[in-house]
Amino acid sequence: MKIRASKAERLADEELMPRIGEKDPDAFEVFYDRHGGVAYSLAYRIVGERGAAEDVVQEAFISIWRSGARYDRGRGSVRSWMLGIVRNRAIDFLRSKAGRAPKLDFDDDAVLEHRPAAELTDAEALRRETTHELRGALGELPGEQSKVIELAYFGGFSHSEIATMLEVPLGTVKGRMRLGLEKIRGELAGGMA
Amino acid sequence: MNETEHDRWRDDIAAYLLGALEPGEAAELERHVAGCAECEQELQRLRPAVRVLPETVERVEAPAALRGRLMEQVRSEAAGSQTAPATRQGSRWRFGLRPAVGLAALALVVAAIGGYAIRDSGSGGAKTTTACAKTTAFAGRSPGITAEIVCQGETGTLRLANLHQLPAGKVLQAWVQRGKQVVSAKALFVPNSDGTATATIDGMDGVNTVMVTAEPRGGSVQPTSAPIVSVAIPQ
Repeated sequence: MKIRASKAERLADEELMPRIGEKDPDAFEVFYDRHGGVAYSLAYRIVGERGAAEDVVQEAFISIWRSGARYDRGRGSVRSWMLGIVRNRAIDFLRSKAGRAPKLDFDDDAVLEHRPAAELTDAEALRRETTHELRGALGELPGEQSKVIELAYFGGFSHSEIATMLEVPLGTVKGRMRLGLEKIRGELAGGMA
Repeated sequence: MNETEHDRWRDDIAAYLLGALEPGEAAELERHVAGCAECEQELQRLRPAVRVLPETVERVEAPAALRGRLMEQVRSEAAGSQTAPATRQGSRWRFGLRPAVGLAALALVVAAIGGYAIRDSGSGGAKTTTACAKTTAFAGRSPGITAEIVCQGETGTLRLANLHQLPAGKVLQAWVQRGKQVVSAKALFVPNSDGTATATIDGMDGVNTVMVTAEPRGGSVQPTSAPIVSVAIPQ
């Protein structure tokens, strides 16, 4: 059953997914408007090219459009599920470009400086405060821990590749990953307390 | 299980959540976690720390044209249109035909290449069928594994789904066949945790078949195993 866009806007993500599974473009449009921005930001962060980021997002959202009914509430929020798909597609892109180093910019502010100011919308400006709070958890980590986490999550490198790259034992890489995630988890728990 | 063994799994859980385990290791961990309540609990405890990572990315405005193309394609598919999807001008990627279109032209590939015979490798293997269209998109499907190649100019994008995870030390390698000659497409890759994978194949001109084999890490000069999938390219 198709629903009007205005009604779709009032639905939670979890309620939109069955509609998308029924091939309701209005429901999909609302879904994209809610999450397309963060999806594109994540894709750009990983692939480092605007055109490639567009391709990644388009492909990820089309896969959601075609398989929306496969979303499983038991595996987390719709947003996390969607971002996982975007991340996988972006890492796929990096891996398929064999021989080209992935973007590993540890200073996101440098990326921001290269953007025209007009690209920042009011809504985004409001969200940045929250984003910065979340980034704080990552930024508070010792550099050696944030580095292995970024190389793995945003660079798509395996632990053995990271160990080779950083010239440290495999166990050290895994240990830094665990300690880093432990600290982020602790920060999140503290924020929620 | 002694404590030392358990510590090993605990360290692997963080790497697993970050997608940093080798495919064989990830599969091994998943098997262990399925039967270990303590590790399952640890995995669930750390998962939020990974889920927050994409939210830490600095926001970049998505181009309005992207939304336009996406909705054009979605509305086209919702209406049951067969028109080709809109793509970004100059895009290296192009989206393939919908499965319903691809399956309409299934054809079994029976290729034997200079002593290197493609064979059905059993339930996990893949006899290969392909489909094509007037556009430069080709789709293939085989039991258990689906494959699709989308070409733009001389560049092809190979997309696979329903792949099994590989043993440790193994990677997937793409090969192209021109006439009876099989050469490496210089594309090494591994399946994602959801069983999908993508590889870019340069130089599609004159290619009859694209194949994928499992090879030792670093790749091989020649295929050392039967293809897990192959896709014939209509000429």
